[in-house]
Amino acid sequence: MDDKQKDKIAPEFIFADWIKTSMAFWESMVSMWPTADPADDKSPDSKKDGKPSRLQKSLESTQKTWTAWSRIISEPETMETIFKGTGEVPEILLKIAQTFTNSFVRFQQQWLEKAGKFQKSTKSYTFENLDEDAVKVWIQLYETELRKIFNIPQLGLTRFYQEKMIQSVDKFNRFQSNLTEFLRLLSLPMEKSFQILQEKLTELAEKGDLPEDSKAYYQMWIKILEGHYMTLFQSFEYTKILNKTLHSMSEFSEAKKELLQDTLLYMLPVPTQKEMDELYKEIYLLKKRIKELEKRP
Amino acid sequence: MAQPKISVDLILSKLAEDAEKAGESVQKASDVLMENLDTEIAVTPYDIVYEEDRVKLKHYKPTGDIQLKRPLLVVYALINRETMLDLQPGRSVVQNFLQEGIDFYMIDWGYPARKDRYLTIDDHVNGYMDNIIDFILDKHHVDKIHLMGICMGGTFCVIYSALHPEKIKNLVTTVTPTNFDTNQGLLHIWMKDMDVDRIVDTYGNIPGDIMNLGFLLLNPARLMIDKYVGFIENMSNKTFVENFVRMEKWIFDSPDVPGETFRQFVRDCYQKNLLIQSKMEVGGKRVDLKKITMPLLNYYGKYDHLVPPEACELLTSRIGSKDAEDICLDTGHIGIYVSSKCQREFAPRIVRWLKERDEDKKKRETKKAGPKKRAAKRAPKAAASALKTKTNP
Repeated sequence: MDDKQKDKIAPEFIFADWIKTSMAFWESMVSMWPTADPADDKSPDSKKDGKPSRLQKSLESTQKTWTAWSRIISEPETMETIFKGTGEVPEILLKIAQTFTNSFVRFQQQWLEKAGKFQKSTKSYTFENLDEDAVKVWIQLYETELRKIFNIPQLGLTRFYQEKMIQSVDKFNRFQSNLTEFLRLLSLPMEKSFQILQEKLTELAEKGDLPEDSKAYYQMWIKILEGHYMTLFQSFEYTKILNKTLHSMSEFSEAKKELLQDTLLYMLPVPTQKEMDELYKEIYLLKKRIKELEKRP
Repeated sequence: MAQPKISVDLILSKLAEDAEKAGESVQKASDVLMENLDTEIAVTPYDIVYEEDRVKLKHYKPTGDIQLKRPLLVVYALINRETMLDLQPGRSVVQNFLQEGIDFYMIDWGYPARKDRYLTIDDHVNGYMDNIIDFILDKHHVDKIHLMGICMGGTFCVIYSALHPEKIKNLVTTVTPTNFDTNQGLLHIWMKDMDVDRIVDTYGNIPGDIMNLGFLLLNPARLMIDKYVGFIENMSNKTFVENFVRMEKWIFDSPDVPGETFRQFVRDCYQKNLLIQSKMEVGGKRVDLKKITMPLLNYYGKYDHLVPPEACELLTSRIGSKDAEDICLDTGHIGIYVSSKCQREFAPRIVRWLKERDEDKKKRETKKAGPKKRAAKRAPKAAASALKTKTNP
């Protein structure tokens, strides 16, 4: 096989030939488009006064673009560049794969670090008081680590709705955490009162002073319980957790309302509470104004 | 033989006795609970004589002779309902007033709806209350009326009397908080750090159930446990059950509180304590307590856990009137109105006090010596031990 023949079966020549053939095919296809009689076509696209239709124009335009691109691509210099690049494909693919692998490893490392932080947080609690420490650890983990997930920015057309949904889940979690802590605090006087009652009963038994009336035991316990609640309620810790719970309950309530109002109710033909509030305020101000005017002499 | 340290036999025999009693009690209780129980509250007849939005004015007219020249207006709080004053037969302030020949009116604040969330203290005091008082003045052709306030309603009455002293002949405040800078009551402690803006912005009106939960948490041992243990112990007593259910009906009948009113009440009163310092502003006007120049009778409960004595007793020394008296009863917040001990003294004493001050000043001065002696003679000795009075010098 001589060099000329070799050149002709080289891939760039085969590709150039294929492009030329396909160009010829599409040129002939477009030229075959019927120059229909305007009277036959009653569509809005119909050719009036022998002018080409919108569809034909569009086809012609596409065909022209294709011809131009094909001409450029089938030039020997361009073909050579393309086929030279083909040889580099494995290298490029490898690079892409490496980037992905690195990102994945980095992501895994980040999560491992976070998991390490979980461990770090839990280490500071000895779990001697299992219920108290478990609640505190959970709140700390949620606030410092898990909550970040709910703050990842949302994207796309439904971004707004996703954000409302995620925010309400986050607020619910925070409310639940605070409520658990609040309820734990409320249960403490119960626990302590039973402990003290037992100690007291042991003391009375040793002295031989145990009451015979069962009601006396109840009275003893309820007095201890009342005393413990009073001490708890006056503590700074209780007020702090009470306010935190109320605050998070309000935040959750607000987020839930926004979710319902701005995403679901918004699509229904009913007024939202926000809209009603605006109306109520207007009515309130109008009524107040009327009453003032009526009172004027 | 030595005496055993634990007399197990006695304890067990007492336990067996209690179990037997409990069995009998449960038997009787089931009969009582399935009977037709009379648990109606606020049964004394009245007329609705004025209505504005959700607010109604109840008029109670005595069947006998009217003892006062001027009518009395009773203003209840926005928390819970005025039906507390007519809770059960034999323990009804309303019936006691009627028996004493008092022609009186009572404001029923109704149930605030979402649309009422923007109503402020100004709307309640300078709006509804002022319109109601004008209505009563016109109806009775008098220039002044007697005003009595209960709890937060008392605070409204203090504000009203400072802003419109020309319309009030005598002022009676009962369990009325005016000094909020105290750590005696848990409410005062808790309210100080409350994020009231966040709560009002979220809920609009403050839900009655949330308020009630807060009140129960003031003393859960007594209000959530001991109270119901007491009920179980007395379930076989029909009268007890009826009265218990009446009280339950009243306690848990809690209207929501209009948001803006709650916001101002917490911020200006509980958190800044402006009222007692005469610095509070209502409707753009400063509430100057020195402008309260009419006689004042100030009732409060020694064991009130909601409005403790410290929250009430400063008022008499801060007003402009020299005729001001504190009466501290040995009872709690509600006991003043419903306990049988206080019932005997509370309404009759208010009526006596009002009678002594019902007439115009000039006429009263001419009779000065007479009524005082008579009033002193009528004061029952038994009730005197339950009262501690202090007169403003």
